Amino acid sequence: MNDKQKTYILFPSHAHGLSLEKQLKEHQINYTIVPTPRQLSTSCGISIMIDPCCKENVENILKENKNIETLGMHTIEVKKRKWFSD
Amino acid sequence: MANYRELWESLGVDLKKHDELCAVLPEFFEEIYLSQNDRPENMNYFNFVVSEIHGYRIQELADHKEKGAKVVGTFCVYVPDEITFAGGGIGIGLCGGSDFWIPDGEKVLPRNTCPLIKASIGAKLGNTCPYFSSADLLVGETTCDGKKKAWEILGEYTPVHVMDLPQMKREKGKLHWMDEIKIYKDKIEELTGTEVTKENLEKSIKLINDKRRALQRLYNLRKEENLPISGKDALLITQIAFYDDPERFTEKVHALCDELEKRAAEGVSVFAEGTPRILVTGTPMAIPNWKMHHLIETSGGAVVCEETCTGVKYFQDLVNEDNETMEDQLRSLTDRYLNINCACFTPNDGRIDDIIRLYKEYKADGVIYYSLPFCSTYAIEYKKVKEALEKEGIPVIMIETDYSLQDAGQIKTRLEAFFEMLDAPEK
Repeated sequence: MNDKQKTYILFPSHAHGLSLEKQLKEHQINYTIVPTPRQLSTSCGISIMIDPCCKENVENILKENKNIETLGMHTIEVKKRKWFSD
Repeated sequence: MANYRELWESLGVDLKKHDELCAVLPEFFEEIYLSQNDRPENMNYFNFVVSEIHGYRIQELADHKEKGAKVVGTFCVYVPDEITFAGGGIGIGLCGGSDFWIPDGEKVLPRNTCPLIKASIGAKLGNTCPYFSSADLLVGETTCDGKKKAWEILGEYTPVHVMDLPQMKREKGKLHWMDEIKIYKDKIEELTGTEVTKENLEKSIKLINDKRRALQRLYNLRKEENLPISGKDALLITQIAFYDDPERFTEKVHALCDELEKRAAEGVSVFAEGTPRILVTGTPMAIPNWKMHHLIETSGGAVVCEETCTGVKYFQDLVNEDNETMEDQLRSLTDRYLNINCACFTPNDGRIDDIIRLYKEYKADGVIYYSLPFCSTYAIEYKKVKEALEKEGIPVIMIETDYSLQDAGQIKTRLEAFFEMLDAPEK
């Protein structure tokens, strides 16, 4: 695992994402709401990005909150295109 | 992932082409926004809005429309949202900040037209912006020649109402603008079937003022010696202000400001000590035009304020809330809107006063005069602004650039030289 890798949690709808966000806040787990990387899905919408080391904690939260549906957790290194090259 | 394809299809969006646009956003946003360090936690809401830019809000608008609401698309800070919302409409500022829409715009407009106009028209004609597709009425204005003529073309495809903005701030101009606001009120009533009354106008004046107050609070925090938020993030928030639900937006901006106030109290800064503080002035930056801010903040500068339509012009003045009659309300709206200092006015000395005042208030070290190509009014006005700033000893450079990233390296070189000259720590 290198520090360029990030874990992305995908959702069937934004509402599930926002429910998980609430839980992450309560459990003081750092997260960032991001546009879903194209590597993972071609549907536009949100994902939640976390550090891969928090994956287990999030899995536990999801086990306790069965109402929050996800489309899985994916740990990847996001492709960078360098739009503003020097 | 939420599947918005059905929704887009029902709006007549060109799905294949639109998908090309969607493909670009995650990487572009990642490079510009997610690469920043120490972003405030409450930026997550604004990340959410951008991530769902053609999803969540579009669905929300569709739900409102289902219940009979009308969506009104606008392009300019002179169109009074208060009237739109009072009449039961939903005002949304329309896109026009990406290169993606330019080729479709150039199919009907001369190439030597400003990119903002080409992109806006291209977004509508190419059916690649669901906001345009959601709008029941587009409201244009006469702030430049390019726009004036573009509305005629746009009108061939969709209902357009044009507000005739006077170009001189004389008493007769004021009367004329008040008359235009009345005509717009009639237009909204005709569209929504809801009468604009003193009561609902009072509510909407308060609603939009509250949004402005939240943005004022945010910008006041950018006056801090230690900057608790980047210029890029502040710009994103102002851009989102144009199309988000006003009440929710206001609440989220206040939540962010609570966090920023704590940062300010602790002296937290997202920039290294001595980073030159830059006031950006000039043409609007429609979403997703983040180019200039990104270049400034990756070349050693920090943007502290925008004297633009996607900056203080949008919210620095409030509408008077203490009105006895509807006529008073309309007069208050007229006064507030005509106080905006756009380069389409002659003379426009008020803008120079604003720039000098903001430079001092935000403790800026230099001014970047940003202009989109073919924007004659702003480009020509540079001479007078430059002379006035030089008299005050305020360093300024002008950068004219469109949405393409080909000149990014060149601009970075110019910015680095400018920042070196500012020599911020010894100032």
